[in-house]
Amino acid sequence: MILRVNQTFCAWIGRTEQQLVQQHRFQDLLTMGGRIFHQTHWAPLLRMQGSVSEVKLEVIHADGSKLPMVLNAVRREIDGKLCHELAAFVARDRDRYERELVNARKRLEDLVEETQRLHAEAKDRALFAEQMIGIVSHDLRNPLNTVSLGASMLLDSVPEAERRTVERILSATDRATLLINELLDFTAARVGNGIALTPRAIDLHASVAVVVEDLRFTYPKHLLVHEREGEGAAVADDGRVSQVLGNLVSNAVAYGDPAKPITVTTRGGQRPELRVNNAGSPIPAELQPQLFEPMTRGTEMGSKRSVGLGLYIVREIARAHGGTATVTSPVDAGTTFTVTLAP
Amino acid sequence: MLRRNTVRVAGEGAVTIMFAHGFGCDQNMWRFMQPQYATRYRTIAFDLTGSGNSDLSAYDRVKYNSLEGHASDVIDILDEVATGPVVFVGHSVSSMIGMLANLREPSKFAAQVMVGPSPCYINDGSYVGGFSRGDIEGLLDTLDSNYLGWSSNMAPVIMGAPEQPELSTELTNSFCRTDPEIAKHFARVTFLSDHRAELPRLEAPTLILQCTDDVIAPVAVGEYMKRTLPNSTLAIIDNVGHCPHLSAPSPCAAAMDDFLAKQGL
Repeated sequence: MILRVNQTFCAWIGRTEQQLVQQHRFQDLLTMGGRIFHQTHWAPLLRMQGSVSEVKLEVIHADGSKLPMVLNAVRREIDGKLCHELAAFVARDRDRYERELVNARKRLEDLVEETQRLHAEAKDRALFAEQMIGIVSHDLRNPLNTVSLGASMLLDSVPEAERRTVERILSATDRATLLINELLDFTAARVGNGIALTPRAIDLHASVAVVVEDLRFTYPKHLLVHEREGEGAAVADDGRVSQVLGNLVSNAVAYGDPAKPITVTTRGGQRPELRVNNAGSPIPAELQPQLFEPMTRGTEMGSKRSVGLGLYIVREIARAHGGTATVTSPVDAGTTFTVTLAP
Repeated sequence: MLRRNTVRVAGEGAVTIMFAHGFGCDQNMWRFMQPQYATRYRTIAFDLTGSGNSDLSAYDRVKYNSLEGHASDVIDILDEVATGPVVFVGHSVSSMIGMLANLREPSKFAAQVMVGPSPCYINDGSYVGGFSRGDIEGLLDTLDSNYLGWSSNMAPVIMGAPEQPELSTELTNSFCRTDPEIAKHFARVTFLSDHRAELPRLEAPTLILQCTDDVIAPVAVGEYMKRTLPNSTLAIIDNVGHCPHLSAPSPCAAAMDDFLAKQGL
């Protein structure tokens, strides 16, 4: 029950002393939210520690409007009776400032939420697109096989004049098949369980020699050199090794100096390694870190290049073996890609 | 888990009494009650996850989106530290938390004591809980403006007691203060909860301690509880306010002792 109240407080809340003293409890003047806060927070505090400070509440004015106030309270014993002395201050400016802060925080929270939502959406879309690539690539293989098979059958029966056309169809389907396989590897590495591998004991020198021979046939205008270092015994997936080599040599052909040799170096043992070096203008240092990311190309577009997945697949095959794919490109020694096939 | 909820055990006895605080404060609320029971019972006090000194990082908004999350904490704590039958003493929202824990594992509990309970704070048709949704929004605003300085460790809301400096250091650091966002979340979960449907299923003997003048849990709510709980006793405590265990500990203890004696506990 209010025992005494000063004129200032009365004027603030638009009531007379007579209306308040012995008529109301202080908490009756509060908003409902303030009353709950009183009961759950500052009343127990006042009880336990004898004082509270800087509690902010809204007091209801006689006209029904709400007046923000900051309250300090202390418990005293006067003539053997427990009383509470309350000091209240009007805090309109603090209230406005607080509301601005709360609104600013709210806006920030909304913004963060929106950003997170957009980010999640973008991620979903990217994942969907990558899965789509996988599905479409996979389904394209069958019709392509039919075309390829049909063309092979025609090759021997068509008249000489049409043979060239059929040969072009065959080489086009071969390239399309290669592209599709790259896309399938890409989706396996991105959204699947990684590139599938069947490692076994091989002679790396011998396997690579066969591939190099094939590549000489593919790129007749380029000089391909194969250098062997130490023993050839290694555990690796030789199909994947030839894929790595194919990608790296085709890059060397596309971006290297066509007049200089391309050197393939192999080394077996515990940590099998494969290097492909070509002469030519160095790869700028700032491009090197992203080189192995999908859809990255050198500055000059090679006419033969596909969708820019070659180096990404090289790196993923290296990773699937537990190894790494790296590049060095000093001015004087040409560009060297190094693939290790074990941790 | 015992650290998560700052579980404190005191006393020994054949029966365990667990004290659970309500919204807004922490286990300090039981400082006038727990010691007198620790002489005869094994007593457990703890902080609800998200309150007091509990591990705030454990406050999972999904788990604690209903009182069931806290009820499962109660079971976990009892599994760890209770011996013998348990009397659960819950203040305010914790009365309902205790009821939910009891309904999950009735065999653990011998009796429930509810201090200022309310199964539903919002008025609903002929049911008078005492509040409207707008009132609860008002509370959230008040919480907002009283916790603004919390996270940056600015002037604490609570000033120390000059005459008891040792108390003030303890209190100003932790008591009644918690992460404002958690406080708001817990306020929403507490004041928008509705457990009227579960009341008829509580079989344990239950003591309702109802204050004569309590804005949070009005007498009408206490009477509703008494009517709806199958096995309950209503004790009216002559007290203004929502915390009779602080402002009227003796009448509370007397009613509780009487109730426990009748139950043979």
